[in-house]
Amino acid sequence: MLSAGTSSSLGIAGAQLRLSALAALEYRVGFWSDGVVSVLWGLIGVAPLLVALDHRPDVAGWSAWELMVLTGCFMVVSGIYSALVQPALVKSMEHIRRGTLDFLLLRPADPLVLCLTAEFMPWGLLESFVGGALVVVSLVVLGVAPSVGDLGGALVVFVAGIVALYALGILALAVSFRALRLHNITTLFETLLDFARWPAGVFTGPLKAIFTFLIPFAVMTTQPAQGLLGRLDAGGIATAVATSLVLLIVARVAWVRALRSYTSASS
Amino acid sequence: MSGGGGLRRRLAVLGALGRLGLAEAAAYRASLAVWVLTTTFPLIALALWAGIARAGGPIGAYGEAEFVAYFVAAFLVRQLTASWVVWDLERQIRLGELSVLLLRPVHPLVHHVMTNLAALPLRLVLALPLAIVVLVAAGGIGVSTEPALLALVPLALVGGWILNFAIQAAIGCLAFWWQRSATLFEIWTCLFVVLSGYAVPTSLLPLGLDEVARLSPFHALLGFPVELLLGHLSPAEALDFLALQWGWVIVSVALARFAWGRGLRAYGAYGA
Repeated sequence: MLSAGTSSSLGIAGAQLRLSALAALEYRVGFWSDGVVSVLWGLIGVAPLLVALDHRPDVAGWSAWELMVLTGCFMVVSGIYSALVQPALVKSMEHIRRGTLDFLLLRPADPLVLCLTAEFMPWGLLESFVGGALVVVSLVVLGVAPSVGDLGGALVVFVAGIVALYALGILALAVSFRALRLHNITTLFETLLDFARWPAGVFTGPLKAIFTFLIPFAVMTTQPAQGLLGRLDAGGIATAVATSLVLLIVARVAWVRALRSYTSASS
Repeated sequence: MSGGGGLRRRLAVLGALGRLGLAEAAAYRASLAVWVLTTTFPLIALALWAGIARAGGPIGAYGEAEFVAYFVAAFLVRQLTASWVVWDLERQIRLGELSVLLLRPVHPLVHHVMTNLAALPLRLVLALPLAIVVLVAAGGIGVSTEPALLALVPLALVGGWILNFAIQAAIGCLAFWWQRSATLFEIWTCLFVVLSGYAVPTSLLPLGLDEVARLSPFHALLGFPVELLLGHLSPAEALDFLALQWGWVIVSVALARFAWGRGLRAYGAYGA
C-alpha cells in the first residue's frame, strides 16, 4: 500500500519535474549545453576501453560488444545523475549555504524530498536515452535476448543502483551543512562516476571493496549489464539490494543529524 | 612618476594579489582539496591500466610499473598546470562582476593569473602526499636520467601552465557574446581527456592517432611534459616538442588577447 506520505512525495517530485521540463523547453540553449555535451562526454569516454580492446581481445572477460552494453548502462546512470541528482544537490547546497533552506523547511512536506526535487535539468536525460538505445543495439548485435527473469533481475539491481546513487547524494548534502563551500563535491562524484564505465572485475584489492560496497558503482552499472547478459545470480541481486538499503539508512540518519545542527540564516 | 617607482608599485600590486589568492585558497581549503581530488582521474586510469597489465602482461611499452609512473606523473603535471579562469571569467562577464575588476588599476587577466598561480603551492601540498602514497605502494618511479632533459622540464611545465591559462581565458572571453562559453570548454576537455595522454598514454593510441595527438595542443598541455619527465623522449624529440609547445603557447596567448580586446568592446556596448 502506498502511504499518504509517499504519494505526496511522488506528487511533489512529479510537479517539480513538470516545471523543470517546461523551463527546459523555454531555454533551448540547454539542449546543447546539458544534452548534447553530456551525450558527447558519454561516448568519448569509451576511448580508453577501445584502446584497451585494441591491445587485448577482452577486458576482464568482457568482449567488445558486451562492454558496449556496459557503456550503455553507464550512460543511463550518468544521465540520471546529471539531470536529476546533481542539479538538486547543487541547488540544495546553495540553500544551505545562504540560509534560504528555511523556506523549504517551512513547507508541509519532508524536507529531504523537497531538497532532492529542488531542481532538475531534463536535457541531461538525453544521455540516458542514447545509453538505452546503445544497450538495445549491443544486445541485438550480440544476439542475446534476455529472458523475463534476467530482465527482472537487471531491473531490480538497476533500481538498487539508483537508490545507492541517491544515498550518496544525501550523504554529500549532510556533509555540506558543515563545510559550506562543498558544492564541488558533486563535480568530484561526476569524476568518480567514470570508474563505473569499467567492469567491476578490473579492480582488485581495496578499490574492489570500495566500488562494491562503499561507492557501489558495481551495483549501478556492472551488475545491471551482467543481468541483461544473463550472468547475474540471485545471490548477487540480494547483495546489491542489501548494499543499497544499508547505504540509504546510513544516509537518512546522517541527514536527520545534520538537519538538527542546522541553525538557519537568522540565528 | 619614475619608471623604477612604477615597477615597484606594480610588483607590490602583484604581491598583494598573490597574497589574496593564497588567503582565498587557505580559507577554502576543503573546497580546494575536493578540486584536487576531481583531478585524480589519472590515478583512476592508473588503477585500470595497471590492473590490465598485471592480469595479462605489458601493453605496448607499458608494464604495470610504467603505468604507475606515467599516471602519477600525469597527476602531478595536471596539478602544476591547473587553472580555472574559464569558469570565473564566464561568471564575471555574465553577471557583470567584471565591471568591478575593470575599475581596479590592474588588468583583470593579470588578477586571474595571480590568484590562479597563488593556489599552486597549496594544491601541491594537498596532492603530493597522495602521489607519494601511490608511488610507495607501487615501488617508486624512474625519472629521466639525462640531466639536460630534466633541465627542460620546468620550461615544459611553465609552457603547459601558460597554454592552459590562455586557452581558458580565450574560451572564457567568448562569454562576451555567448552566455554558456564554459560549455565549449567542456567539449575541449572531452578532447583533452582522449588526446592529451590523460586517460591513455599517447603512444598506445591506435591507427596512427598517436602521431596526430602529438602535434595537438592537448598533448603539449600534458603528455609532453610527462613523457619528458619520465625520459621517454630522445634529446632531439624533446627539443622539437618543446618548440612545438611554445608555438602553441604563442598562438593561444595571441588568441586570448584578441578575444579579450574584441570582447571588451562588446561588453562596453551593453552600457556596463
